[in-house]
Amino acid sequence: MTVDETQNLRPDKNHGIPDSTFVASHVQKTPDSVKTYWVARDELLPLLKELKPIYPMLFDLFGIDERHREKATGQPHADFTVVYHLLSFEKSAEIRIKISIVEPETVPSIVSIWPAANWYEREAWDMFGIVFEGHPNLRRILLPPLWEGHALRKEHPARATEMEPFSMSEELLDAEQEALLFRPEEWGMTQENEDSEFMFLNLGPNHPSVHGVFRIALQLDGEEIVDAVPDIGYHHRGAEKMGERQSWHSYIPYTDRIDYLGGVMNNLPYVMAVETLANITVPDRAKVIRIMLSELFRISSHLVFYGTFAQDVGQMSPVFYMFADRERLFGIVEAITGGRMHPAWFRIGGVAQDLPEGWDTMVREFIDSMPARLDHYEKMAMQNSILKRRTIGIGEYNTSEALEWGVTGPSLRATGLDWDLRKKRPYGGYDQFDFEVPTAHRGDCYDRAVVRIEEIRQSLRIIRQCVDNMPAGPYKSEHKLTTPPPKDRTLQDIETLIHHFLNVSWGPVVPAGEASVMVEATKGLNGYHLVSDGGTTSYRTRIRTPSFPHLQMIPLISRGLMIPDLIAIVASIDFVMADVDR
Amino acid sequence: MSEANLPFIGAILLTVVGGAAVLTWFERRLLGIWQDRYGPNRLGPFGILQVAADMLKLLTKHDWIPPFADRFVFVIAPTAIVISMLMAFAVVPFGPDHYLIDMNVGLLFFLAMSSLAVYSVMLGGLASNNKYALLGGLRAAAQMVSYEVFMGLSLMGVVMLSGSFSLVDIVEAQQDGWYFIPQFLGLYVFIIAGIAESHRLPFDLPEAEHELTAGFHTEYGGMKFTMFMLGEYCGLILLSCMITTLFFGGWLGPFFPPLVWFALKTFGFVCFFILLRAAIPRPRYDQLMALGWTVMLPITLINLVATGAIALWMNQA
Amino acid sequence: MTLALFYIAGAIALAATGIALTRVNAIHALIYLVVSLLAVAFIFFLLGAPFAAVLEIVIYAGAIMVLFVFVIMMLNLGNRGTVVEQEMMNPSVWIIPSLLCLILLIELSLSIASLKSETNPIVVSAKEIGISLFGPYVLAVEIASMLLLAGLVAANHIGRRLSKMDQEKDEG
Repeated sequence: MTVDETQNLRPDKNHGIPDSTFVASHVQKTPDSVKTYWVARDELLPLLKELKPIYPMLFDLFGIDERHREKATGQPHADFTVVYHLLSFEKSAEIRIKISIVEPETVPSIVSIWPAANWYEREAWDMFGIVFEGHPNLRRILLPPLWEGHALRKEHPARATEMEPFSMSEELLDAEQEALLFRPEEWGMTQENEDSEFMFLNLGPNHPSVHGVFRIALQLDGEEIVDAVPDIGYHHRGAEKMGERQSWHSYIPYTDRIDYLGGVMNNLPYVMAVETLANITVPDRAKVIRIMLSELFRISSHLVFYGTFAQDVGQMSPVFYMFADRERLFGIVEAITGGRMHPAWFRIGGVAQDLPEGWDTMVREFIDSMPARLDHYEKMAMQNSILKRRTIGIGEYNTSEALEWGVTGPSLRATGLDWDLRKKRPYGGYDQFDFEVPTAHRGDCYDRAVVRIEEIRQSLRIIRQCVDNMPAGPYKSEHKLTTPPPKDRTLQDIETLIHHFLNVSWGPVVPAGEASVMVEATKGLNGYHLVSDGGTTSYRTRIRTPSFPHLQMIPLISRGLMIPDLIAIVASIDFVMADVDR
Repeated sequence: MSEANLPFIGAILLTVVGGAAVLTWFERRLLGIWQDRYGPNRLGPFGILQVAADMLKLLTKHDWIPPFADRFVFVIAPTAIVISMLMAFAVVPFGPDHYLIDMNVGLLFFLAMSSLAVYSVMLGGLASNNKYALLGGLRAAAQMVSYEVFMGLSLMGVVMLSGSFSLVDIVEAQQDGWYFIPQFLGLYVFIIAGIAESHRLPFDLPEAEHELTAGFHTEYGGMKFTMFMLGEYCGLILLSCMITTLFFGGWLGPFFPPLVWFALKTFGFVCFFILLRAAIPRPRYDQLMALGWTVMLPITLINLVATGAIALWMNQA
Repeated sequence: MTLALFYIAGAIALAATGIALTRVNAIHALIYLVVSLLAVAFIFFLLGAPFAAVLEIVIYAGAIMVLFVFVIMMLNLGNRGTVVEQEMMNPSVWIIPSLLCLILLIELSLSIASLKSETNPIVVSAKEIGISLFGPYVLAVEIASMLLLAGLVAANHIGRRLSKMDQEKDEG
């Protein structure tokens, strides 16, 4: 943040929103450094239009159910809040705009400003019942079409045991099946034009190339794609809802399963958000361990991408080599954490354990062997002329389109924008490391792969620096919210005993406030927005995942291409459905 | 052909069908070696009993016909490929005295049989009444009909050099030199067209697991699926036999008996095709067709004209 | 032996053609037609024309019929075609053409009966066919090839479907 921006933050005197002519009704102080302004409902659209040139990306849009809040300060009365989280790349800054709604008020849709808002608004409607006026197709997105109620409302039960026992009768089954049918007319598609009759093909939800349960309804003319409608939600598990009943600590394992190829990389934004709320500083050794593990998982995720990318364009062998490498990598992860894919190993204030003896030899062996193997794969897959012909010039988008649709991470850098959060706004100690940000220029399937492969090499570089310079010291913070008091003293004085007891049985009480932290995850920017109402659980856990907006873009880049091209596009996007549906 | 040949027919059928069955295991093992993994290695020595286990499984599976399929065509389709592929073996000369029939149009008979195999894939795709299968069937029809043209044309050079359509004559004409040297262009086109005809990776577009789930045989299972697979592997063996016969001197070779030479050469090509499968990605459908009409066709025509000119010149000299 | 095979093949060809005519499902009809073609090819083979037999399979069964199936797949008519076919089975549609054909058949049978039958077929090799095609019949071959070329050019011209954008470009 530059100096004049900090001056703009003086909330008491000046409620003006920087970079605009608007005045906020409230300025909210949050433990993170993101400026948060509340505006009136009818000012929203003009304000966002004014902000868009400076903040070109709609990073996140979500709702909060405020009706059970007890410790909300500095904000207007509201039943629900809609949060617009914007991101600037030139200034590497964020801004949060909030509007309050008292039922039955509605919110103006911003799809006309950011096309990416389409799915976000549908999700907010699906989860909270917030109506966005002017939205082209406000329908359920994550929950099944016949679901009753809005799942993230506080009155909606969080567990099956709080509901009527579930039974699927014959009629219900038929009704659900019927509701899942794809009706082209609902999406503004016609059955035929003057030239030909279209064929509608359901690609998924079970299809070998959609990497999970993902459905794309295709409108085809022969094999040419006229239009496509991505349909998500088959992998929705209510991760955000679970955040509202798990203690701050016991939620960590759930984060692992968001981007299930990213392992501990998912823990990082969550624990950092909690640390921001509770003002916990993490010791250096923990920071470096976290970075090392995160980068190992970045390699692991990119290896899976690499292999499946080659496989989806029909090359059979590479995936086996890459999975063999990933297996060796999991060997290291297992030696360090005890887990493999989902170690849930980061803790609020540090990591779960210190590194085991001999960890450095294992890691060194791996990073020494990888470059030669990557060269080999380069020759085998990326330099293959058929693979090039299948992917170069396919699924192209440029930087401004990418920003418009909320594309982040390697997929954004493939368009030539040299923007990596680790470099531009280093978090968790990345400023201490020496690495480059690979970019490409065409923004097509091939370039998305090229960037990821180069990132593997850069991650190896970061890991080598971690191994060479691992600081000594504690692996977790001594903060009272993260570490129980020493056990031997609990037997001496009652105060320590009580603290120990409460901390362990109920979990720590994190001070009220809001914080969002984003990290450069394997697939793009992954952010956690946590709202604490001063309890042992989070009041609202919002998970912003990179894959969600990436999938929304599929129709735009696949129109006019053929089915095999769509498969190449899907492979190059590198998503996992848990990361989309949460 | 006489009645005395019945045991020989039996032997050929047994070898080819048995070979195709063993090939399913062998291919997986070979791919395993090349892909840094094991492949089926649990049942019997080197896992070879996997063949028997797979057979048992496939043959005892519920023989299901989808209610929405066209029953008549659905059942006929898989048999067509097996019958036509096995028929083609009638003209393959395994040795100087080991052939079923020396037809004077033997080469054309092979082409005729391989052109009939298209029906299997097309009708299978059509009868399944499934959109993926239909797309697979359409691809198959376009791909196989086109590549049949190049396949036929690529062999005409061999016919010109040997002066006969008879496969026995063609092998004997290679006493002085195998045809893969003068007919290298023909060989190149024949191999590529052959893979396209047998629709194996990299040209498995009718199947294209990653695009069309399983393409034309999406709705097939059990016994009928086995027939498709059997046909595909028989086709692979047939293709290798034909390359051996037409370009690599068939049974000719020093020291070993002719049958051994034939088997060795054929085995080599089978391995080559498996390696090809492991190494090369799948081109897009329109790219494959463009390759055919813009690269394969000119090459075969050039080969044809050049071979004809040289043959004429040699005759005059 | 040969005679028996001939009559069996002939019977199959006739039966298959008959069934092909009466099928309402186009694909079923085509399958029977292919069987009929294969039977005819076998007859050629028996009559000492293996080259013609194999060409019959390669060209008619293996290429032309495949294209027929291809077109049916492309059109993907489903039940609509079956309904139309069913209407065609109405006797008022086929009875007069059948009668006319019957007369032709009788004429043909009579004229064939007056010919002397050749009992010992001579095997005609591919080489002889080639020599006669490019010898005495070269003009016919060339005319046929010109005709095919013309057909190819015309098909290319007609088949080139202008997309909307191209049409607008042409108009503008």
